[in-house]
Amino acid sequence: MRAAYRVLAYLVAALVVVQAAAIAWALSGLTSWVADGGTLDAAAMESEDVLFDEVAGFIVHGVNGMMLIPLVALVLLIVSFFAKVPKGVAWAGGVLGLVVVQVLLGMFSSGLPLAGLLHGANALVLFVAALQAGRLARTDVTTEATPLVTSPR
Amino acid sequence: MRPRGRRATLLVGVVLTAVVVAPLAWLWQDSRLPASYAATDMGYPDHGGEVFDAHATGGHTDGGGRDAPSVRSVDTLAPPEERPADVEVTLVARAGEVDLGGGRTLDGYTLNGASPGPEIRALQGQLVEVRLVNESVPGGATLHWHGVDVPNAMDGVAGVTQDAVPVGGEHVYRFVADQVGTYWYHSHQLSHEQVRRGLLGALVVEPADGTPAADDPAGDAVALVHLYGGVRTLNGRPGESRHVVEPGATVRVRVVNTDNGPMSVWVSGAPFRLLAVDGTDVSQPSTVQDVAVEVTAGARADLEVQTPADGSGARIELGGPVLVLGPEQADPASTPRPSEQVDPLSYGRPAPPPFDVDAPDRTFEYRIGRRPGFLDGRPGLWWTVNGGMYPDVPMFMVADGDVVRMTVSNDSGDGHPMHLHGHHALVLARDGVPATGSPWWVDSLEVGDGETYDLAFLADNPGLWMDHCHNLPHAAQGLVAHLMYEGVTTPYRIGGANEPE
Repeated sequence: MRAAYRVLAYLVAALVVVQAAAIAWALSGLTSWVADGGTLDAAAMESEDVLFDEVAGFIVHGVNGMMLIPLVALVLLIVSFFAKVPKGVAWAGGVLGLVVVQVLLGMFSSGLPLAGLLHGANALVLFVAALQAGRLARTDVTTEATPLVTSPR
Repeated sequence: MRPRGRRATLLVGVVLTAVVVAPLAWLWQDSRLPASYAATDMGYPDHGGEVFDAHATGGHTDGGGRDAPSVRSVDTLAPPEERPADVEVTLVARAGEVDLGGGRTLDGYTLNGASPGPEIRALQGQLVEVRLVNESVPGGATLHWHGVDVPNAMDGVAGVTQDAVPVGGEHVYRFVADQVGTYWYHSHQLSHEQVRRGLLGALVVEPADGTPAADDPAGDAVALVHLYGGVRTLNGRPGESRHVVEPGATVRVRVVNTDNGPMSVWVSGAPFRLLAVDGTDVSQPSTVQDVAVEVTAGARADLEVQTPADGSGARIELGGPVLVLGPEQADPASTPRPSEQVDPLSYGRPAPPPFDVDAPDRTFEYRIGRRPGFLDGRPGLWWTVNGGMYPDVPMFMVADGDVVRMTVSNDSGDGHPMHLHGHHALVLARDGVPATGSPWWVDSLEVGDGETYDLAFLADNPGLWMDHCHNLPHAAQGLVAHLMYEGVTTPYRIGGANEPE
């Protein structure tokens, strides 16, 4: 369970990296498409057509951010109930909380650009929190012996 | 740790897991839709404050002392069968290649071998009869007459007014073209996919006493805009198209936005008047120049352009594609989008409304929001109507002859082009600012994030009508409600082969 906790926490951190990469890739694709004569207006933005290949970055960012990461963070919290990682539940809860905040900031960013600013900053907070949670579950910093064999104590 | 302690920890873990998972599981289960359902079973009735309706028995009575209407099926709400058709069209829907010109093709759907489908023209008062034959569109198809207030049986909504026409099947639509103006038709089965891929076309109703465009083709041009595979096209062609006219000619350009979001139209090199919005003429439109006109998803705008007398021509800029008006050799210069927009709230001269908007029989609220949750078992951020997520949305109940007031507000973080079937609504105010221009009649209205519109309409077309977002993916994500006349039932069911969005 401890290993599962570690893997899930590091997975959240890795998926945050994917998020940053995907959105930057998509925006680069958009810039180059506009430079090549593409027109971006609300009608184009709302279309489900593939305007340029890097649109995939927006899709990855959306699915990853609104489905996959919340799911992994939720499973991390559930695993934390069993994993006996010191302060593991608190850290897993914190990670899930930051994910929720992150999704909400992303949601509101189209109407409130300031939310987008915080969305970018909160991503790094979430990344560090997930890494820290993973470090807590490293086996070599264990303070308790693995209780598989009952000690004579 | 001792085994007993371990068991306790395990128990706590299981309990905590249940605390986290159980509400989610319940929400998921609760959001599941039945395999099929009638539009009349979807959501909850909202009687719009019909004060006389209290203690009504049986649920479907009409209050206010009027006699309860007899129960009618949508199928009976059609023009008389004995009247012969004046305009007959057969449209064959196929899955296949859409030709975008210049050797470019795209996998999509066609009507009579092309997309957009044929432009249908009728004179006011003529009976239009369109036979839709589905040769090979796999999901089935229908045709909805966007903006035309047809009898309900002809509205073309799969699962509400008919069954989707399966491959090998056909369906006949009949309606009297009572309203002059620019309209369009499109499939309302799996609409978010079928419209995007090409099942659409233009429909124009001309005044019976005027000069039909057939006799003066230079004076009238349809500019139907659609994105095919990310390429913005004008009447199915990307880039520049040309409508050849004599120097100084006046042209009515009928702009139709068939996409999912608002677009801007502006004119380079000539002044223009905004003659009509959503098929309804503007009262005394003034001449403007260097301003843009917003045309939202599904909406239409008719521009009257006075081309320069020196033959230099004018450009109708459509956010990518361009319609050049002028002689063969005219090469007018392009201009960027003007920052100023025509505001229909104050454009043109006011005229008294045809019914008393200050004495409504029903008053409804249509509040659009957004929140996380499950839609038919799928997690995500979904649209809400009056706080509820599909199918927990209002059914706006009306009776024939009611004057209806509706306040549409949007706090969802995104704009929504709201489309009411079967009726045109009059815009009374936006964000509390009353309309001072020409009566602004809409069937497709962009309600931006943070905006509120006060609308009024006359419930004079009995049936079951959708009132939904014409950003069709949004509709597929649950931004759909219905306007329902008391006593009208439907034999059709949503689900199974019928997926209207």
